[in-house]
Amino acid sequence: MKTALYELHKELGATFTNFMGYEMPLKYTSVQEEHLNVRHRVGIFDVGHMGNIFVRGKDAMKFISKITVENAEKITEGKGQYTLLLNYDGDILDDEVFLHLKNEYLFIPNSGMHKKIAEWMKENAEGDVEIEDVSSDYSILAVQGPLCLDVLREIISFDIASLPLFGCYEIKNEMKIDFEGRCIISRTGYTGERGYELYIHPAEEAVQLFKKILEAGKKYGIMPVGLGARDTLRLEKGFMLACNEFEGGRNPIEAGLEWCIDWEHEFIGKDALIEFKKKEDYEKITFLECIEAGIPRKGDIVAKNEEIGIVTSGNFSPCLKKGIALAYIKTSHRNIGDEVYIEGRRKIKARIVKGPFVKKGEC
Amino acid sequence: MEIRENLLYTETHEWILKKDRVVRIGISDYAQDSLTDIVYVELPQIGQRFKKGEVIVTLESVKSVAEVYAPVSGEIIAVNEKLNDEPGLVNKMPYDDGWLVEMKLDDESELNLLMDAKQYEEMLNKSKDL
Repeated sequence: MKTALYELHKELGATFTNFMGYEMPLKYTSVQEEHLNVRHRVGIFDVGHMGNIFVRGKDAMKFISKITVENAEKITEGKGQYTLLLNYDGDILDDEVFLHLKNEYLFIPNSGMHKKIAEWMKENAEGDVEIEDVSSDYSILAVQGPLCLDVLREIISFDIASLPLFGCYEIKNEMKIDFEGRCIISRTGYTGERGYELYIHPAEEAVQLFKKILEAGKKYGIMPVGLGARDTLRLEKGFMLACNEFEGGRNPIEAGLEWCIDWEHEFIGKDALIEFKKKEDYEKITFLECIEAGIPRKGDIVAKNEEIGIVTSGNFSPCLKKGIALAYIKTSHRNIGDEVYIEGRRKIKARIVKGPFVKKGEC
Repeated sequence: MEIRENLLYTETHEWILKKDRVVRIGISDYAQDSLTDIVYVELPQIGQRFKKGEVIVTLESVKSVAEVYAPVSGEIIAVNEKLNDEPGLVNKMPYDDGWLVEMKLDDESELNLLMDAKQYEEMLNKSKDL
């Protein structure tokens, strides 16, 4: 599959990679250059491989509270939230942002997950709830980095600085450029930097918008950024990648995402989680920083005399200039400062650290 | 994408520069571009012997791990030590400062099986059509 921007990426000289069935730009120039540009200036990403599902109806709020770990009552119009959808065993089906727009909610499932999630939603819908999967009709662009506001102000006249984190807004007559279609903006992202995401319908309309943002962003040093840097950016911040960190069934407690849960309401998977919390030893997401040269990779074993865990994401940190990894490690062995070995192609000495790897403003 | 004229190439994107019984080995511009930023290079020891097709170097990039195969059989007589500190040279100058190793050839006739620049270019064009 291709997003609406495929031809534009080609024109921009992208090297492509297949991600969850989509031909996506891996990089345009260099992964590290793009990465650092987002940390220090600004970058634009095509994230049209992510899904879009609308949830509408009188009972939508009640329904969302049931299928996510969030109490949707708290997410009033104009707000959004990062949340989790669990199965009845308490395992994470997907982590998603949802936005509360006027009379509707927009869910952004992970790439390749929208069909499964739309089906799951329909199976569990009760009362007046309408679920519409519009993933192929929408494009998503992400503008991320400390200078993102300067760039977007050239395009949009609405005071986007007023949006709180996860806040959302549907832009009407506030485009400074010719634009035919629907544009929703949210203050969200996957880089750990200040950033915004634009949801565009029809999807093709995103092509000219991408070009205009690049043009307007020139003076701020904007770069188009591929999935390579998207992955290293999120890893430095310890953000989960669903197809890595939730693979094989992991619950929010294991994934270190208990903070997402509003325990004061009923939701699918809650009973299983309450039961799970009684466990003393289980595998929990852990941050590893390499002390020796080498790059940890997904699937590598973590050992300290014996096997104590497994790497789910590993790469080279362009900011720290060393290998970093997320791993599931038994809670009995998760001591900050402890030295362990990551065993893949070679044995790399690493240290258990407190996340995120790169803190705000560090880099 | 640069394909340098005076070199020989393999199907696995190594280039070979011959001078007397010694060959210098690296990876092509196409290979470095598909790998993306190389951040770690594992070089062999001087004196190590390899048969054609064996892994001589491992390149780790921000995307994946790639193995470089011995295009010919022989003995390692030099490695590019600079890559220990600056692995990105393979991306920046794949045909020059980004070379990987030098080998003393066992059998010069093995070179006859390699492609010249024109043949390598044809191979790349074919794979692009797919």
